[in-house]
Amino acid sequence: MKRKTVRRRSAFERITVLCALTVALFIFTALSFIVIRGLPYMSQVITSPEVRFATGLSLMTAFISTAICLLLGIPAAYALTRTRMRFHRVLTVVMELPLSIPNVMLGLSLLLMFASMPGKFLSAHGISFIYNVKGIVLAQLLVNMPFLIRITRTSFMNLDPRLETIAETLGAGSFKTFLLIMLPMAKNGVIGGAIVAWSRALGEFGATLMFVGATRMKTETLPTSIYLNMATGDIGPAMACAMIILLISGLSLVISGFFNSKPVNGGGERQ
Amino acid sequence: MIRMENYSVELGNFKLKDVNLEIPRGEIFGIMGHTGAGKSVLLESLAGFYENHEGCVYYDDMPLDSIPLQKRRIGFVYQDYALFPHMKVRDNIEFGLKMNQVGKAERRERCEEIMEKLNISHLRDRMPATLSGGERQRTALARALVLRPEILFMDEPFSALDPWTRKKMRKLVRKIHDELGCTVVFVTHDHEDIEMLADRAAVVLDGRLRTITDNSGCFGTEDREDASPLMMGRTL
Ligand SMILES: Nc1ncnc2c1ncn2[C@@H]1O[C@H](COP(=O)(O)OP(=O)(O)O)[C@@H](O)[C@H]1O
Ligand SMILES: [Mg+2]
Repeated sequence: MKRKTVRRRSAFERITVLCALTVALFIFTALSFIVIRGLPYMSQVITSPEVRFATGLSLMTAFISTAICLLLGIPAAYALTRTRMRFHRVLTVVMELPLSIPNVMLGLSLLLMFASMPGKFLSAHGISFIYNVKGIVLAQLLVNMPFLIRITRTSFMNLDPRLETIAETLGAGSFKTFLLIMLPMAKNGVIGGAIVAWSRALGEFGATLMFVGATRMKTETLPTSIYLNMATGDIGPAMACAMIILLISGLSLVISGFFNSKPVNGGGERQ
Repeated sequence: MIRMENYSVELGNFKLKDVNLEIPRGEIFGIMGHTGAGKSVLLESLAGFYENHEGCVYYDDMPLDSIPLQKRRIGFVYQDYALFPHMKVRDNIEFGLKMNQVGKAERRERCEEIMEKLNISHLRDRMPATLSGGERQRTALARALVLRPEILFMDEPFSALDPWTRKKMRKLVRKIHDELGCTVVFVTHDHEDIEMLADRAAVVLDGRLRTITDNSGCFGTEDREDASPLMMGRTL
């Protein structure tokens, strides 16, 4: 892809480069303040029970919600792309709608849903989501499921369907074809997507706040902890949590980028 | 026997129209035509890959739509071979055997046997991306043949090959056909492929089947360059 240019950059090209530099500088400056302000607090606060609790809770809920997303989202994406399911266009829109809805609103909808009669019935029988940890997972699910379905659906759509046809002529049923042909080929895209989904879940705030509130040491995820501590003027723990999120997000991005760029053939291209 | 009755299928702007065709068991049948004429669509239709068609295809008087893809006993070799890119050559070839619950020992044996026959034994541990065109093709052929299909479909199997390899492959296909007794349906641009290999051939033009010719005497007497316009006139 790289191209050596001897000629001078045109005015247009110089403007695009300037735009790129401006954006990068803006983002880098904003984030570096977290690092600059956060570093001094790290050693003293990182071991505090509150930060440890928030980190543990975030990691755990994000892990669980991502696992559920994969478990439901992959079959759903298959149904949308490979079966002649009725209304699949409408259903695709419904499933991906939350992508363009603010998280606060998604949390609000969950709150309203579980405050309604059927929701009250569920919580009366011990299945309660509001103001507890299960609710955090549910909020992350609602935010991330559409994201993962979109990624997985795109990965499946980019596969060559003729390979599946061939697999079937060779005797593979639809599940074997899915498991042995489609999934290995879409693997990198799906894993990359799942890692991003996991890090998004880790930083989810709006829906979580709306649905389970912000209770110290109870529903205190990393972003919630930032919010609570900033509200009370405890800048130390807030900065520590911010640093942790930044670290995990950056790492996830790098790892998912690695998966996304990996070819499926396991070897160099030749021809 | 393959029988196609009043078959039409529409794909975007393209329509394969009103095809009637009968290919007896054990025949080698060639399909010719210009690029974009609908040869590949016809070949895939004969294999029953399209669901939204009119008319019907029968294998031995069984409507094809009633036989699941897995039970049709067909081998299909695409023009670009469509190997499973994440599997070694050997795993590509053994895939069908695995799906048909063939035991490990027999699987190995049949795989080795077909690789030997197609001269690709030395490639068994290579990934498809590292193979040359001819090697890919022989792998795809091996993958289809290892299940001993009753019908072998090949889309332009010789187009990407140099003249020498092409000659060898034609001989090989003929030999395999004689051994397995399978029906072979293949697509080609080249009259020579038809002459050397096919028992009969059809010409597809703009989505219609125009001519079915017996190989004996049709192409041989005419100048090859002129053969195709001439055949266009001889509508079935
Ligand atoms: N799935 C499809 N959707 C839309 N158009 C298609 C599809 N498959 C083939 N076509 C069109 O049908 C025509 C015939 O294609 P094909 O049979 O592949 O031609 P060829 O004779 O070169 O093999 C082409 O114009 C092609 O663009
Ligand atoms: Mg073609």
